[in-house]
Amino acid sequence: MTLALRHRPVPPSPVARWDARWKLAAALALAAGAAAVTRPGPSAAAFAAGLLLVAASRLPWAAVRARLGALLFTTVPFFLVLPFTLADPAGHATALGFDLGPLRASERGVLVAAGLAFRCLAVGCLAAVLVGTAPVHHTLAAARRLGLPGVLVQLALLAYRYAFLLADEFRRLRIALRVRGFRPRTDAHTYRTVGHATGALLVRGADQADRVAEAMRCRGFDGTFHTLTAFRTTPADVGAFLLCVAGTIALVAWDRS
Amino acid sequence: MRNDRAGPETGVSPGSGFRTPHSALRISALSHSYPDGRAALTDLSFALADGECVGLVGPNGAGKTTLFLRLCGVLPGKVGQASVAGLDPADPGQRRKLPATVGVVFQNPDDQLFGPTVGEDVAFGPLNLGLSADESKARVADALKAVGLSDAGERVPFKLSGGEKRRAALAGVLAMRPAVLLLDEPTMFLDPRGRRELIAVVRDLPGTKLIATHDLDLVLDLCPRVLVLDAGELAADGPTADTLADAARMDGHGLEVPYRLRGAGKV
Repeated sequence: MTLALRHRPVPPSPVARWDARWKLAAALALAAGAAAVTRPGPSAAAFAAGLLLVAASRLPWAAVRARLGALLFTTVPFFLVLPFTLADPAGHATALGFDLGPLRASERGVLVAAGLAFRCLAVGCLAAVLVGTAPVHHTLAAARRLGLPGVLVQLALLAYRYAFLLADEFRRLRIALRVRGFRPRTDAHTYRTVGHATGALLVRGADQADRVAEAMRCRGFDGTFHTLTAFRTTPADVGAFLLCVAGTIALVAWDRS
Repeated sequence: MRNDRAGPETGVSPGSGFRTPHSALRISALSHSYPDGRAALTDLSFALADGECVGLVGPNGAGKTTLFLRLCGVLPGKVGQASVAGLDPADPGQRRKLPATVGVVFQNPDDQLFGPTVGEDVAFGPLNLGLSADESKARVADALKAVGLSDAGERVPFKLSGGEKRRAALAGVLAMRPAVLLLDEPTMFLDPRGRRELIAVVRDLPGTKLIATHDLDLVLDLCPRVLVLDAGELAADGPTADTLADAARMDGHGLEVPYRLRGAGKV
């Protein structure tokens, strides 16, 4: 079991300099567009646009690749199921269809699965750009400015902050288990131990949540989200946003044509 | 243990809690029970004058943290009276004004450093007080300077050292400019250098300070007066050196005479 949480420095890039509010709005538009298309061509184009943004962001490829790989893995069930459950139209000549023993994989199923994977990867690229080109609290402050309720923003910030503490706690628990001779196996003892450790983690997390709430109330917290993060819009920010929106509209229009 | 509360010869002078008409902090017959009925604080009475720095010592479970939570209004309670800079923590209307008046630095700085950066965290209180962004930034700069972390504004709290976390947590409270500062185990888990740095910072802080700690040397260094709390009751209230040098009393309340005082008092 590993739980790797690391803050990565934000590489200097035009995307990093983009006002977080406009960047978030553009990414949301692009993600909505990517999710709305259905055909493989526009889906692949959405993925290509996502990759372009990743490249413009100068994010470390290894990290992006690892995340996209994990996302791609989640689409495997679609490749396993759709080709065998979606039939090609009768009389349709298929170049991508193939036989697997007694089963016939349809071209339509392969294309739909590929389209899903492309769309998933496109959204993954956009998420990587959002997370990698600005500190999380800037992006969340931008979300607040765009109308996300303050309580949700506060919750997201706290979850982000304390995920690192819980990860540290988890590491300490693992060490404590190992030094007492615990080695994970596929047996009841392992499942019970992992259950106990998870329970301990949850209880400690709940205790800490209580203490954090007390500390926040002591400093006047009344549920309102405040931040020092300031934003400044330049014509380039608006231009980049409009370009993304235009690209999204073109993508959806192509898909619908 | 409880008998020695009654007589002046044992350290608690009846009425000593109301030595000044201008007490920054005053409590009278304050009691508190946990939801399961266990008494956490019993009939506590004492006062702190404006600008006074007082140590609060006692064994684990003595009620030190509970007392702090009552004083800052986090723990509701009706038994007894308390006044912090003229505000009553039991009164809901006045309780809302307490964050601007009383600052609490908790035992574990990770409970208190919830901001994404040190600067944002320190600004949390001033922004909650309704100050403008510019005013808040000025307070952040002042508070970070006061604790020697002027360059740490953009740093991520979880990457700070233990001593830096303590000082950052203290800065978060100082930025609210409280009249009364409650410090709960400020030197716990600190290495000698971090401890020294923190003591130097606390020594220079203005305002009234009540410091709950097991670090008796810190009390000797910073606090002319000490309160001994045991099982929720005030066991002693007196000059620090005299009180902490009383071996019988210290032993009776689960404490030890600080090494520096051994041979100096009634050891």
